[in-house]
Amino acid sequence: MSLKQVRLGFVPLVDCALPVVARAKGFAEEENIDLTLIREMSWAAIRDKLSYGVYDAAHLLAGIPLAARLGLGGMPSQRIAVPMALGRGGNAITVSTRLYQRMLEADPAAMHGPRGLSARALKKVIDEDRAAGRPIMSFATVFPYSSHNYELRYWMAAGGIDPDKDINIGVIAPPRMFDSLRNGWVDGYCVGEPWNQRAVFHGDGVIVALKEDIWARSPEKVLGVREDWVQSNPDTVDALVRALVRSAEWADQPENRTELAQLLSGENHVGASFDILRASLLGRPVLKPGDNPIEAPDRHVFYRYTATFPWLSQGAWVGIQMQRWGQVDASVDFNTLISDIYRPDLYRRAVKGLDVALPHDDWRVEGVNDAADRAFVGPDAFLDNSIFDMRNFAGVGG
Amino acid sequence: MKLEDFSILVIDENPDRAAIVERGLVESGYTRVSRIGTSYNLVERIQALAPDIIIIDLENPDRDTLEQMFQVSRVIARPIAMFVDQSDSNTIREAVEAGVSAYVVDGLRQDRIRPIVEMAISRFNAFDQLRRERDEAKAKLNDRKLIDRAKGLLMQEKGLTEDEAYNLLRKNAMKQNRKISEIAQSVITAFQLEF
Repeated sequence: MSLKQVRLGFVPLVDCALPVVARAKGFAEEENIDLTLIREMSWAAIRDKLSYGVYDAAHLLAGIPLAARLGLGGMPSQRIAVPMALGRGGNAITVSTRLYQRMLEADPAAMHGPRGLSARALKKVIDEDRAAGRPIMSFATVFPYSSHNYELRYWMAAGGIDPDKDINIGVIAPPRMFDSLRNGWVDGYCVGEPWNQRAVFHGDGVIVALKEDIWARSPEKVLGVREDWVQSNPDTVDALVRALVRSAEWADQPENRTELAQLLSGENHVGASFDILRASLLGRPVLKPGDNPIEAPDRHVFYRYTATFPWLSQGAWVGIQMQRWGQVDASVDFNTLISDIYRPDLYRRAVKGLDVALPHDDWRVEGVNDAADRAFVGPDAFLDNSIFDMRNFAGVGG
Repeated sequence: MKLEDFSILVIDENPDRAAIVERGLVESGYTRVSRIGTSYNLVERIQALAPDIIIIDLENPDRDTLEQMFQVSRVIARPIAMFVDQSDSNTIREAVEAGVSAYVVDGLRQDRIRPIVEMAISRFNAFDQLRRERDEAKAKLNDRKLIDRAKGLLMQEKGLTEDEAYNLLRKNAMKQNRKISEIAQSVITAFQLEF
């Protein structure tokens, strides 16, 4: 049987792990897929190349398929389907060591309390700057429609900061983040690993909140494929999903994490140092230069806790954040739209016959940390203990 | 708006390619063309130049920054991506394949934009062609050097004439179904091992 060619674009981040593993460990080949991986340095480039057929599949931010469907960013509407998620975790908010010192002095109690609430200290620094007539600070995320942007804003808003007024939030492509912080062009950022650990290892930054401190089940990257490609290549889509789900299972085993760090450190993959990648992948990140690592076992979740399942409620949450921050009109009904983009039906079809545990429903009420399905879906708390029930947003305004 | 009134900004990390695009546009009658490389104060520079159209290489990481800028409409006078007209999907596909993207101030008519984008596409393709030819020429020159060196070694160490040395390389290349330069490389490596 001849191999089916699949071209997949990815951005150098720890969560490009599943496609990298699928190729390197033979899971793609076992599904008769000849997987070609192409490294991209920008989310706009990867979106455009997927949309216009240069790639068959792509490692995408969870918000990109939604933004593409709505024709945001000036592109004509694109029908990108999401047959699976590519794991969870990996993001963090890092601030310059200088800003960290200021936050610590302004509000030591907040800085020693839960990390999800550390923005309270940032709020005090912002107030000091305002009183002294200093210019407002700049933070960066990786794309307008990124979970990073929504997490950073969620964290700031919970600390009493208005992210649209009290601070500049700009966009910098992930591989350029570290240089921007080091050169003082930004005061802080929210990005995926290894770009937080790198700042800490080089003594330029301090991590003040992890993604899991903001929302433990927060969605991250997804697999994006064009809908017309899904229709004309149903068997290949199934095979690709199976290969990536099996890769996720491999990547989640603690005993494979060191090998994974080695794989990802290659210049054609992430191209960051092995030590930095390993610290993150072993769930033992260092938050402050010189500190001992902390125990963060859910730093990178690839398989357990249904991390590859394309939960409609996670996709809807992203859509609601787009509305919260004025990117999308309130009349858009994400509750309906999401089931046209996130495709748990494709996931269920692909993994049939594999030993993959499936949830009963395609959505759930998010944020209930002691829910009955906790062991299955993992920790699930928002930093402010809020509950996200997508049914409350059905047909909002329209 | 007359041609010369369009303000066009070319952003490219490759200064040679940017120069080729700029020259093409100027030769077609667009006089207000500027170009910048990668810069950390991109937003300020774009605001200062206030371009009607931005041509930027598709893979440039600065695009992510630009898209944020355009999403926040207060920063700049409502520019949007060129990819607005569904009927233009052929041009878009050609642009993506050539590695060109373009952002256009809202309200500019599609028929005024298309010649500019098409010019950029053809110049990008021409640049690619040039680069390919240059790489091929370089590779050929390199092959030539390897073969000459291998011939020299065979003549010196094995007492062959130049023709005999070349024929030996060629014969082995044909037999092994490899390039003569590859055989030359193995000969060089082999002699180096003996020293």
